[in-house]
Amino acid sequence: MDYKGDIYYIDQILAGNSNSFSYIVDQHKNKAYNLAFRICGNHEEAEEIAQDSFLKAYRSLKSFKMKSSFSTWLYRIVYNTSISHVRIKKKGVLSLEDFPADATDFIGSNSSEEEAEKEYRSSLVNFALQKINEEERGLISMYYYGELSTDEISDVTGITKSNIKVKLFRARQKMLEIIEKVEKKKFIYHE
Amino acid sequence: MNNQEKYKGDLLREYIAPEKTENAPEGFTSKVMTRIELETRSIIVTSGSRRKNLVPAISVAVTILLIASTFLIPGSKSDSLALPALSILKNIKFSMPEIGLSSIFHLTLPSVMIYAILGILVLTVFDRALYGFFHREK
Repeated sequence: MDYKGDIYYIDQILAGNSNSFSYIVDQHKNKAYNLAFRICGNHEEAEEIAQDSFLKAYRSLKSFKMKSSFSTWLYRIVYNTSISHVRIKKKGVLSLEDFPADATDFIGSNSSEEEAEKEYRSSLVNFALQKINEEERGLISMYYYGELSTDEISDVTGITKSNIKVKLFRARQKMLEIIEKVEKKKFIYHE
Repeated sequence: MNNQEKYKGDLLREYIAPEKTENAPEGFTSKVMTRIELETRSIIVTSGSRRKNLVPAISVAVTILLIASTFLIPGSKSDSLALPALSILKNIKFSMPEIGLSSIFHLTLPSVMIYAILGILVLTVFDRALYGFFHREK
């Protein structure tokens, strides 16, 4: 079935048809889950956060003023829920030793070397993401994975556009430094 | 500005593939909808049980009102339950043997019947009103 747009389903829900919310969940679940996962770094917790966020959105649907798009509003809920979840469950700091040495560690029974390299890079980014703070994680995730513009990120987070650019720049630098260190470690390991 | 220009010189982009997004697990939507359904149900049950908890309190209040009204609403001087009842109240002493209950046993049957019928009628109307109040959401 074609998705008829957020507003159509929101009107249906507000008119008493709560089942229409399932179309909204279906439409936005991957983006919500992805943002939660990038911030908390754990699949189980990400699912819990994403579910909680949809529940919060459902409960406060009446207060949604439609000033921003529904997805921006939902993103804001997911972002805030993820940040507070991570702050409550502060984890220990990961060390470089926690990351596997190279791509061969990612070769599964059916995967090629190329796929293993992709998997390695993806895990390396995730690892670097977990080494920066939760706010920066959210920004990086929205910018790179969610492909949101700095204007949209500003709407979601309430941080000014110029400040987002600065924060993104710093977060990017930190991540690249971590990636560089891991790559260096890999080089030493293979020598 | 297209994405290629946007990410020009962005080294991190070499590691991040936007298509490499983590998708929500199977059954995610149904889990969310189940939680919503459970929450909606518990809200209805909670509000229903809160109202049901009021029933004994309302009943007690009405019973007290009815009893008080029999004592306080004056009837005719000759055939009223109020006057004997008031006199009973006045005569009550806190030593059991001295309570003067004799006036109650001297009441004539018709005067008791009027109050009984009136009481039954009031309670019936009240019961119907309560029934309508507690069953209107179903």
